[in-house]
Amino acid sequence: MKNGALLFLGLFAALGVSWAGIVLGSSAQFGSLSPYYDAGTDQAYPGGFPGVAARGQLVYRDLNCASCHTQAVRRLGFGADEARGWGTRQSVARDYIFQPFPQLGESRVGPDLTNFATASPIAAAPAGVYELLYTGRGGMPPYAFLFETTKIVGEVSSHALHLAGGLQPPAGYEIIPTPRAEALVAYLLSLSSSFNDYPEAKAPVEPKPEGSPAPTDGKGAPPAAGAKPAPPAGGAPIPAPATPEEAKK
Amino acid sequence: MTDLSAHSSPTDSGDVEAYGRGPLLLLAGSSVVWLAVGGFFALIAGIQLHHSAFLAGCPLLTHGRVQALAETCFVYGWMANAGLALALWILARLGGEPLRAANWTVAGACFWNLGIVLALVGIVSGEATAIPLLEMPRAVQPLLLVAYGAVALGGVLAWTGRRREVMYASHWYAVAALFLFPWLLSIAQVTLLWFPVRGTLQAVVAGWYAQGLWTLWMAPMALAVAYYVIPKAAGKILPSYDFASLGFWCLLFVGAWTGGRHLIGGPVPAWISTIAIVASTTLLFHYGIVWLNLRVSGGAPSIPLSFFRYGLCAYVGGGIIDSLTAIRGVAEVTQFTHFDGAQQELAFYGAVSMMLLGGLYYALPRLTGRPWAYGGLVRAHLLLSAGGVSVLVLALGVAGLVQGGDLNNASVPFPEIAAHIRPWLLLASAAQAALLLGNVLLAVNFFKSALCPYYAAAVAAIRQDQRSALEAAAR
Repeated sequence: MKNGALLFLGLFAALGVSWAGIVLGSSAQFGSLSPYYDAGTDQAYPGGFPGVAARGQLVYRDLNCASCHTQAVRRLGFGADEARGWGTRQSVARDYIFQPFPQLGESRVGPDLTNFATASPIAAAPAGVYELLYTGRGGMPPYAFLFETTKIVGEVSSHALHLAGGLQPPAGYEIIPTPRAEALVAYLLSLSSSFNDYPEAKAPVEPKPEGSPAPTDGKGAPPAAGAKPAPPAGGAPIPAPATPEEAKK
Repeated sequence: MTDLSAHSSPTDSGDVEAYGRGPLLLLAGSSVVWLAVGGFFALIAGIQLHHSAFLAGCPLLTHGRVQALAETCFVYGWMANAGLALALWILARLGGEPLRAANWTVAGACFWNLGIVLALVGIVSGEATAIPLLEMPRAVQPLLLVAYGAVALGGVLAWTGRRREVMYASHWYAVAALFLFPWLLSIAQVTLLWFPVRGTLQAVVAGWYAQGLWTLWMAPMALAVAYYVIPKAAGKILPSYDFASLGFWCLLFVGAWTGGRHLIGGPVPAWISTIAIVASTTLLFHYGIVWLNLRVSGGAPSIPLSFFRYGLCAYVGGGIIDSLTAIRGVAEVTQFTHFDGAQQELAFYGAVSMMLLGGLYYALPRLTGRPWAYGGLVRAHLLLSAGGVSVLVLALGVAGLVQGGDLNNASVPFPEIAAHIRPWLLLASAAQAALLLGNVLLAVNFFKSALCPYYAAAVAAIRQDQRSALEAAAR
C-alpha cells in the first residue's frame, strides 16, 4: 500500500459506512417514534414524563445509578426478567420516547428498575423508597448524603423519615430528604411501562422491529415520522422538556 | 510489501528522536501517572462491589462515579497519552525525519491532560454523562477534541512527509487511530451530548461509539506498536505479511458494526444486534491474520516481547470470546453481568495496555539513550501485570457466569447472588491491588529513567557555572 490519499479515503469510508448504517439507519427507522393512541382507553401511550421526574433522572444520571441497575426488560423467554417480576412484556423503544436520557444500563448488580413503581413492593409508598436510599440494603450502598439531619422546629416535618433502632436521629432532630432525594424518588416512582398493547410489543417471542409502520387497523394513526409528537386527543401527555437545561430548572 | 528494510538503518538515527524527545516524554510521563491514578480508582470501585458501604458516606465517590473516574483515567489518560506518544514516535521513525510541529504536541498534551483533570472534577461534582466510555462532562469535551488534534498533528505531518513512499502496517494502524478518534468523538458529542437523539437511539449511538473506540482507536494504536516493535525486537520479518492489509481493512470496515451485541434483547430493533452478531463472527478473520503475523513474538527472551506475547494472546483470545458472547444463547447468561467487565479488562488491559506497555519499555531507552534505571522493577512490573490481569479476568469471568446463572433463576434473591459471587469479587480486588502496585513501580522507574539524567546534567551545569563564577571573582 503506497497511496496515502487512498488510505485516508478508506478510513473515512470505514467510519462513514458504519455511521450511516447504524446511526443514520436506526435514526431513520425509530428516531422519531410518536406516542401510540389507544382508542380503547382514549389515551396516548407512553404517558408524559413529568418535570420532577426529569429532574430526578438527572440525579440518577449524575450518581451513575446505571452502573448497577438496568432499565430494560428483556423479551420473554430470554432470561428470567418476567419471572423476577420486572415486567410482563419486553421493553420497546416507544417506552422511552419522552425520557431526555434513557438509562438502559449495562449491569445488573441490582434489580432492573423498568417497572419499579408498579412491580416492586418497596415502591408501595414513597417512605419505603426513602428508607432504602437512606439505609441501603442487600448490597445497595446507603445514600445518606441525600438527606439532612436537622433540628426539629415546631412540629415534626411531614417528610421526616421514620426509622427504627440505631438509625434514629438524636432526640429533637429529624432526618428529611433533600430536594435531590425528592426528585430522585419522584423519578423512581414514575418508572412504569404499564401499557401492554403497543403493536410492536405484542409479538410473543421474536418481536418485529420497532418503528414499523403505523398500525393499520384504523385504531388511530400516529403522526407522520419526523413530526414532533402532537399531543394526542384525550389525556394529553406532558411533553418532555426540550433540553436537559430546561429540565434542571 | 514484504520488504521491511525501512525498519532498520536509515530511520534509527538518533537525530530523528532528538527533536521529539521532550514532547514524547511528556506524553509518556502523563500516561504512566494516569495509569496509576486510574488503578487507584479501579481498586476503590472493586472494593465497593463487595463492601457496598465502602466510602458510601462520601457523596463524591459513589460506586457509579468512581467507576466513571477509573474508566476516564484509564482510557483517556493512560491509553490516549501512551498510544499517542508511541504512534508519533513510530511515525517519526518510519518517516525518517525528526518530529515536526513538536510545539503543537506539547501544547496539545498539556491541554489534553488539563481536560482530563477537569473531566474528573466534573464527574465527582455530578456532571458525568453516564454514557459508558464517554462519562466526561459535556463542557470539557470540545477542549479534548482540539487538544487531540494538536497532538496528532505531528504524527500526521510525519506520515505525509515520510521519506519513502511505501507504507507499513504500523503506518496504517497509527494513521487510522490518529484520524478516526476525533471523528468518532465529535459525532458522539453532537448526537449524545449537544443535540441528544431521542429515546433508545441514544443507546444505539453510545454502543456504536464504545465499539468504535475499541476497534477504530485503541486496537489500531496497540497494533501499530506491535507491528513495529515485534519484528525489530524479535529480529525476524513478519510471516504472511501480505495478508496484513486484509486484516487491517477487515478490522476497520467490520469492527464498528459489532457494538450492537450489548443491546441483544434490548428495546431497539432486532437487526442492530443481529448485524452485530454477524460482524463479531466476521471479525475472527482479522484476529486470525493478526495472530499469523505477530506469532513471531514467541520465543525470544525479551521483556518488551513478553508484554507483546501476553497482549497478542489476550487480543486474539478476547476476540474469540467476544464473538462467542455475541451469540444470543450465551448473551442470555453473560449479559448485564461481571462477565462484561471481564471482557473489557481482557481487551483494554490484557490486550491494548500490555502492548502499549511493551512499546513503552522498548521505546524509552531509545528516546533517552539510556537503559531503564531499575531492571528489576521492569521484571516485577511484567509479573504483576501479567498475573494481575489473568487473575482479574478469571475472577470477574467466573463471577459473571455465576451471577448470570443466578439472575436467570428467579428463585435466587439478590442478596444471595451477591453472597455467591463475593469470593470472586474479593479475588478481583486483590488483582486490582497487584496491578496498582505494578503501575506505581512503572511510574517510579519511568521518572527515575526519564528525568534523572536531565536533572543530573542540569545540576552539573549549574555547579560548573557557579565554579567558573567563583573563579572569576577570585581573580
